[in-house]
Amino acid sequence: MTRKLPSLARYAALAVAAVLTLGPVWWTFTTSLRPAAESFSLPPSFFPLSPDFSSYAAVFEQIGVPLLVLNSALVTGVIAVGQMITAAMAGYVFARMEFRGKNALFAIVLSTMMVPAQVTIVPVFMLIRGMGLSDTLLALILPAIPTAFGTFLMRQYFLGLPLELGEAAAIDGASPWRTFSSIYAPLALPGMAIVGVLAFNFHWNEFFRPLIFMISEQNYTLPLGLVTLQGNLGTGSISVVLAGVVLSMVPAVVVFLFGQRYLREGLTAGASK
Amino acid sequence: MATRSPLTRRALLGAAGLAGVAGTAAAWPRLTGADIPGRGDDALTVLILGTAQDAAGRQQIADAFTEEHPDIPVRIQSVQATDWGDFFAKILTMVASGTQPDVVYTATEGAQLFAERLALPLDDYLLRDADAVRDYFEDVHPSLIEAFMYKGSLYQLPLDFNAANMYLNLDVLERNGLEMPGEDWNRDDFTELLRGMQGDATPYYWTNRLFGGIVPWLYVNDTSFLTEERAQGGEQLWSTFYPGEERSGGYLWTGSNATHERVHESVEYLRTLVQDGLAVRPEEGGGNTLVGLFASGRIGSTPAGGYWVQGLAEGGMTAEQYDVQFFPRWRTQRHQFGAAGYAVMKTTEKADQAWEWIKFTASKQAMQLAFPTPSTTPTRRSMVTDSLYTGVGPEHWSRFYDTLDRFPTSGPIPAPPQQAAVETALIRNISTALSGGAGGVARALAALDRDLRAVFTEEDA
Amino acid sequence: MTTDSRGTLLRWIFLAPTMLGVGLFVLVPIVGSLVLAFFRWDIITSPRFVGLQNFTDLAADSTVAVSFLNTAVFVVVAVAAQLAIAMLLAVLVQSRMPAWLRVFFRSTFFFPLVLSAASVSILMKYLFNESYGVINWALSLVGIPAVPWLTSPQWAMVVVIAVYVWQNFGFSFLLFIGGLAAVPQEVYEAGAIDGATGWRRFRHLTLPLVSPTVLVASVMAIISALQVFDQPYVLTRGGPGDSTRTVVMVIYESAFRELEFGRASAIGLVLMVLIMLVTAAQFRLARRFVFYQ
Repeated sequence: MTRKLPSLARYAALAVAAVLTLGPVWWTFTTSLRPAAESFSLPPSFFPLSPDFSSYAAVFEQIGVPLLVLNSALVTGVIAVGQMITAAMAGYVFARMEFRGKNALFAIVLSTMMVPAQVTIVPVFMLIRGMGLSDTLLALILPAIPTAFGTFLMRQYFLGLPLELGEAAAIDGASPWRTFSSIYAPLALPGMAIVGVLAFNFHWNEFFRPLIFMISEQNYTLPLGLVTLQGNLGTGSISVVLAGVVLSMVPAVVVFLFGQRYLREGLTAGASK
Repeated sequence: MATRSPLTRRALLGAAGLAGVAGTAAAWPRLTGADIPGRGDDALTVLILGTAQDAAGRQQIADAFTEEHPDIPVRIQSVQATDWGDFFAKILTMVASGTQPDVVYTATEGAQLFAERLALPLDDYLLRDADAVRDYFEDVHPSLIEAFMYKGSLYQLPLDFNAANMYLNLDVLERNGLEMPGEDWNRDDFTELLRGMQGDATPYYWTNRLFGGIVPWLYVNDTSFLTEERAQGGEQLWSTFYPGEERSGGYLWTGSNATHERVHESVEYLRTLVQDGLAVRPEEGGGNTLVGLFASGRIGSTPAGGYWVQGLAEGGMTAEQYDVQFFPRWRTQRHQFGAAGYAVMKTTEKADQAWEWIKFTASKQAMQLAFPTPSTTPTRRSMVTDSLYTGVGPEHWSRFYDTLDRFPTSGPIPAPPQQAAVETALIRNISTALSGGAGGVARALAALDRDLRAVFTEEDA
Repeated sequence: MTTDSRGTLLRWIFLAPTMLGVGLFVLVPIVGSLVLAFFRWDIITSPRFVGLQNFTDLAADSTVAVSFLNTAVFVVVAVAAQLAIAMLLAVLVQSRMPAWLRVFFRSTFFFPLVLSAASVSILMKYLFNESYGVINWALSLVGIPAVPWLTSPQWAMVVVIAVYVWQNFGFSFLLFIGGLAAVPQEVYEAGAIDGATGWRRFRHLTLPLVSPTVLVASVMAIISALQVFDQPYVLTRGGPGDSTRTVVMVIYESAFRELEFGRASAIGLVLMVLIMLVTAAQFRLARRFVFYQ
């Protein structure tokens, strides 16, 4: 179907695109392995022939990376688990239970998907203050747990599960809770994984809300710590900053390698009807 | 499989749920910030701009303070910010969120913002304890004190300062066969020097901020982008601590002077430097890369204060590789400086303890603990000595303090209470002015003038 | 208790976290924004009712006007580039090639999506540096003089767009891959008989069939581009001048640098209305142009 010459052009185009996509990341990695004094030197080194890990040590000393990682992990982990649970519960109700006003409630939930966080940030800031949670990680976590998109996703997922299982259980006298907890919830785990991976991807990388809500350095998340590091450091070594960037990418890469399927499904779920 | 799978999954769910609950419970102090030392307890909270390491560094001072005042527990808290404006925004956010500190280490950039909205005047305390603080004032240049006077009251005791001097890279000069300029050099000598630096390095590098940006070039041209007046008042403080010194009750910047012809002249000068490739376009934000570039011989000259010495030493630069000179003369040789000190928050319930902290930290003993390395210039003249700069500092380190003595009209960074809006307007329009053609300067300055007017009338309303 | 009432109880328990959360953290704040937009408030002193002044001030404020213009330029260029690149690569990847190679390309183009925009902007800031950046170094190899990428108003927006597109084209790419995979092979076979190949095949067969996906991808791309913040914040802080200041940056600066909460709310509301209008307009257009199977 396709001819020889275009096929060559096709591979060439794809190869260029792949190099442009991976190149910056690779450069970041190799530069982080250069000694600090050479970090500005050109030509850039594209192969870490004599890797120097001192920048990684510096990152740990200078910005307390372990605490940043802990904070990011806590925030991301609690949000992800919280979203998985609450979205599964609400999604189940919207998919499997009939009651008056259900469609209206679901429409309200869906409509909030359209509201960007930036629009409501000021009132949310004041709510947080009213709750006495200013400058705590909970200020990032609590508002992020209710998820319209996750609820939508889980509803779709439950709709895709066979109705008969629940009916059979009900005939056997299982309570609604039992029907959910022993039949549907376990089957919905892949759907919940999608919600969790999506939440992880978004909140691990989140910058806007931490920038506003986190004041104490002890509460910084990784992206915020890195941006501050980049602005504050007096050593003038970009290797150190890039070492931090590389460290921040590691968990994302792990999720990418092992959870890519969930991530892909989740990201495209909004588009498929 | 179909029957077993839900079972194992159910077990998995249960286990995950348990682990989640346990994990959350274990992490609860972290989630609520309750594990941050001192949060919620009754210590005097002292906020500084910097990293947790910086806070740990000041802990020594806190320990020394506790030895003298065992009844006043102190907690040093650090907040990271990319610049002072960012820092003030965070303090305002802290006030807004109800987590404000008692004492804040803040700089000239925020002196009037604090005086106007956040800080407590120190006058009564100063006069009450005049004898205890007299040796501080005897050791500190009055220009620095005047910078923290606002409408006749003093709000901070400056502990460190930096004047915008000119750093020159001796490696670059040598490579180009150039001489280190003399103290009385002028703007044309400066231009000449830049022209002599061929190709391999950026002759002049600068950041577009209130400090070290455009303002030094306005001050030496005997002008500023804001109108400058002096307030009445403060006579009692002056006569008590600086008998015979004619000083005011503080600076007042209340209007725009952006369309003044000398402002235009200064901006146009910088624009031609950029256009001729003698200067980079202004970088915005802090200059963390600047030290590295200067230390590696890629920058010929840049304005900075004594705070650079330590960073350059850590960047691998020896004392022989650079030197510092006064800012070149134009119509005058008035320098710009910035200083910093502790301010007591108006909202504190521990004002007396806070004053004890301020008094203590202004003592020579505490200042020596605070500034063991030349990472800034101490305001006490008796501390700016050979011993501070031995082995690390440039040959003419004495110029850091001499700037104040030689040019007594040197003024602070012009930062009115509306600091954030003023700096935003300045940075925005100056970078526009410098990136266009000659005709663009007047237009950008007119825009600056308009923005500044809007800032000042808004506050009056 | 009967099964029915237990079901009712369970239903409300299950709905409570999401409904209360959405209400508290989205609906209440929207109302809060609406109210705040009519006040001047810096949190420290008490709020003052100013009527529509926050909105009328917006119209007069050159920074706000420029930020909306910048955002419009950003959205149009970035979304167009993102969709075009994504479509091109999706078509190329979906054409005949070894499976492992396809997986490799697909993963590669998708990869930047998992990184944080803040981290990416940091590293891009170094790559685009005028004097020591790798990009100017590479250009110098072919004799192009150093470009002031981030320090000139003309180029800064180009860089912000490039960095944003670099990170986000993978999302549209994923959607297109899905859309293309769903096109039945018979359509192509039938088309091949009619002699449809290359561009003509794409234009007249593929594109109409994936047009629903294109619509969804463009709506999503526009909504997310309208909210751009991380890249300009880290790369340029909105400068030089106002050249990369976006609407969300102005919201942030008004609220958390100048404590003008009313003004920030007013801008936020305008942005929200804009997002709703754009979405509605797209679906309206879609009725005319999109081909649903």
